[in-house]
Amino acid sequence: MVETGLLIAAGYLGVGLVVAVLFLLLGISRADHAANGAKWPFRLIVLPGLILLWPIILGRWLSGRQINQNIHAGDAS
Amino acid sequence: MGHQYQAIQWNKGKVQYDIAIVTFAVIYIAIFMAVGLMAFATSDPIVLMIRALGTCAFLLLTFILLIGPLARISDRFKPMLYNRRHFGVFTFLVALAHFGLALTWYHGFGPLNPLVSLFLSNQSGGTFPGFPFELLGLAAFIILLLMAATSHDFWLNNLSAPVWKALHMLVYVAYGLLVIHIAAGALVTEKSPVYPVLVIAAFGLVSGLHLITGLREAKNDALLNKMEAKSWVSVAAPNDIPDKRAVIVPLPGGERVAVFRDGKKISAVTNVCRHQNGPLGEGRIIDGCVTCPWHGWQYRMEDGISPPPFTEKIATYNLKMMNGMVFLNPDANAPGTYVDPLVIGQTAEQRS
Repeated sequence: MVETGLLIAAGYLGVGLVVAVLFLLLGISRADHAANGAKWPFRLIVLPGLILLWPIILGRWLSGRQINQNIHAGDAS
Repeated sequence: MGHQYQAIQWNKGKVQYDIAIVTFAVIYIAIFMAVGLMAFATSDPIVLMIRALGTCAFLLLTFILLIGPLARISDRFKPMLYNRRHFGVFTFLVALAHFGLALTWYHGFGPLNPLVSLFLSNQSGGTFPGFPFELLGLAAFIILLLMAATSHDFWLNNLSAPVWKALHMLVYVAYGLLVIHIAAGALVTEKSPVYPVLVIAAFGLVSGLHLITGLREAKNDALLNKMEAKSWVSVAAPNDIPDKRAVIVPLPGGERVAVFRDGKKISAVTNVCRHQNGPLGEGRIIDGCVTCPWHGWQYRMEDGISPPPFTEKIATYNLKMMNGMVFLNPDANAPGTYVDPLVIGQTAEQRS
C-alpha cells in the first residue's frame, strides 16, 4: 500500500520533470513575457515548483494564455 | 513594477537581512550542540544535530509568523517585514536539512526504502509512544516545500494572487502540524518536558499576538462601519503623520488607505500594493515614492503611478484640511489619478 502510494508519487514527479523541462525550454517565454530572456538561474529557481505543480502549468501552457505582455525587456528592479 | 525575472533580487538591505538570519541559525545550532554535548555526555551528536536543525527551523518559522502582528503593534518591527520571502526560503532549507538527516539516520540503514520505513514506523495508533509524529512533520515539510518552490514572482503572476495567497496561508497549517510534531516527538523519545513547554509557549505567543491584533482591527472596522460612507474621515493632525511615513486609515467596508507625509506634502493612496497586496502604509517614502515594505515596489505619492519605466497604478484619495486636521474622502479615485498634495501651512484658497 505504502509502496504503491510512493510509486504513484514518483510517477507524478517524473512526469512533472519532463513537463517542467519542456516548459522551460519551449513554453515559458511565450506564456509569461517577463520570462523572455531571463537567465538560467531564474529557470532553475522555478524548476521545483514546475515539477510539483505541473498540471496547473501544463493547463496554462495549453490554453495559450499570455501574461506580462507590456513588460520592459531588460528592466530589472 | 513589471520587470524581467531575475533568479534572486538582492540589494544591500536584503543581503544584510539574509546574513543576520544565517548568523542567527549558525549561532543557535552551535550553542544547541555545545550545550547538548556538555550537559549530556552520552548524547549522540547526530541526534543532537537533527534536533538542533528541527528546533531552529521551528524558531525561524515562529519569528516569521510574529513579524506581521508585531509590525502592527509597533513601528520598530516594520523593517522586518521587508524580505520575509528570503526568510521563508531559508527556513525551508533548514527544515530540509533536518528532514534529510532524520530520514537517513532513523530510516536509511534498514532493508526498507527510507520513505517506506518512514510511513511504516510509529503506527501503533494514537497512543504514545506509537503516535506517528514523523508523518505530521512530513506533512508540514511538504507545505513548506510548496511555499518555498512558489516563492518567486513568477508563481504569483502565473497562479494568480488569490490562489498564491491561499497556498501561502497554509503556513498556519504547517505551523500547527509542527507544534504537534515537536511536542509529540519529544514525548515519544524522552521524558523532559522542555520541548513541549517551549513549543506550546511559542504557539501561544504566535496565536495570542494574532488574536490581539485581529481583534483590534475588527473593533476599528466595526466602529467605522457605523459611519456614513460618504462623509469625510478624520485622519490626524498633519504633524502627527510621521515624516516619510504614513498613518493607515481604515474605511467603512474594510478598505484601508495610507496617508503619507513627505516633508510638508501629504497624499493618500490605497494601502494595498499591486504586487502581493503588501501593506503600503507600513512602508516609507524613498526617493519621493511610496515604497512597499515587502518587496520595494514604488508609486508616486501624487498619482499612485510607478516611476518610469514601470506603469503600475494604484488608487489615490482626495484630502482636505479642516480645523487643523487632515480629512480623507473615502471614495477612491481611479488608479493613477493625480491629486494635488496637501501642503502644510497652505490655505484652501492658496490650493485652489
